[in-house]
Amino acid sequence: MTEEALQNIYLKDFHKKNDAKFVPFAGYDMPINYKQGIINEHIHVRNHTGVFDVSHMGQILIPFNEENISALESYIPLNIKKIISNKCHYSFILNSTAGIVDDIMLSKFKFENNEFIYIVYNSSRKQILNKIFNATISNFKIFEDRCLIAIQGPESFSSISSILNLPASMNFLNIQILQYDDSNLFISRSGYTGEDGFEISISNNKAEKLISDILNINKVMLCGLGCRDSLRVEAGLSLYGNEINEDINPVQAGLSWALDKNRLQDNNLNGSEILSQELSSISSVKKIGLSPINKIMLRNQMTIHNNNKEEIGFITSGCYSPILKKSIGIGYINKLSNISEKKYVNVRDKYEEIKLEKIPFVKKNYKKGD
Amino acid sequence: MGEKKYTEEHEWVQLSGDIATVGITNHAQESLGDIVFVDLPTLGKEVKAKEELCVIESVKAASDIYSPLDGEVSEINDNLSKDASIVNQDAENEGWIFKIKLSNLEQYNTLMSLDQYLEFLDK
Repeated sequence: MTEEALQNIYLKDFHKKNDAKFVPFAGYDMPINYKQGIINEHIHVRNHTGVFDVSHMGQILIPFNEENISALESYIPLNIKKIISNKCHYSFILNSTAGIVDDIMLSKFKFENNEFIYIVYNSSRKQILNKIFNATISNFKIFEDRCLIAIQGPESFSSISSILNLPASMNFLNIQILQYDDSNLFISRSGYTGEDGFEISISNNKAEKLISDILNINKVMLCGLGCRDSLRVEAGLSLYGNEINEDINPVQAGLSWALDKNRLQDNNLNGSEILSQELSSISSVKKIGLSPINKIMLRNQMTIHNNNKEEIGFITSGCYSPILKKSIGIGYINKLSNISEKKYVNVRDKYEEIKLEKIPFVKKNYKKGD
Repeated sequence: MGEKKYTEEHEWVQLSGDIATVGITNHAQESLGDIVFVDLPTLGKEVKAKEELCVIESVKAASDIYSPLDGEVSEINDNLSKDASIVNQDAENEGWIFKIKLSNLEQYNTLMSLDQYLEFLDK
């Protein structure tokens, strides 16, 4: 990999003051954890409320008009024309062979009397996605002047309702514009931990005040990307570069639920034929959850083997689960391999037995409506 | 017991007779972060200095632990198999990992003193 200068998120000094440990992540110098450490932060999010600065993520606002819709529908498998307002949709940017260029959160809302599509995307994919957006859509705004703050955990709603006027009707995947200190927040009930929570897009100059206000609330802990990763693995959520990439399509990745099936008949959509075929045949790979029998750690890229020690797959994400107090992993195995046969991972040239686990590893705790 | 000596692999070594107690330094545990498993060495295993002997798994990564000196593993800290976080809490005492019966006592003097180790950390 080429060494490129790391970019800083807007609130870097604030994190320094809060004793963050920094690591390079997707081109940014990012807080991995604070004083309490990854495990304590993880457990706190599962029990109370954690706050994450995820301002490295890409945010774009796109005018909702015919030309832009048609362009977006050529690589996003959603019916954007008829999309419901104020609701977030998990979807993908697809390449011509239906490979996943990125996974995204897409929503439509009215802002300053005009309708927009708002997309949040991975920081590691900014360059490639910005290129695609530049080439296909017009009059959009990529937000370099907004932070993205995530509030996650079962007490998220009660924690932030003391500083924000949250509508009681706001359920999982709802998105609204709220006022805070004379500025517009884009706030969605969503996240990346499997817990209830919110993601708030806010102007850079108001972000430190917001995050400080939230941290002043009882039982709110500042958390880093370290526990965000173990939380998302426990919740069985995919990460670009691990579970998904340009060589795997949403069906193979076990994410066909996120596809608008009607769009697969549409030749205007990248890879629509491939996705239709993939859905009607037996996929070549299967996504699995796993954990080791012995006290060992599963790590990304370890190979999975059958009883004859033949390679049948690999681990895409391995971590320690502070909730289950053991290592867990997500991986892919050949669909044809025998599910009931004993399986192993290669850990430093030793074959360690693993067992299959249900994904998600912990129950999701979203606030769904009726 | 003698003064602690240190290695470039961020281990501390303390000699008592011909038995060296080995652990990782406080600096090492801090940079590893939360330690979740210690894969302890086999008792009686013969080792050479700088040979990989066991592995510490932190939430972030796996790290090899090397034998600082030649000898034979004479004792392991079984408490760590129940609770590896002892290494985080008290790396340079209760968090010791293994003991080695040295086959070459003179080797001990080639290790760094505390001052030399602190200088090494500053580099």
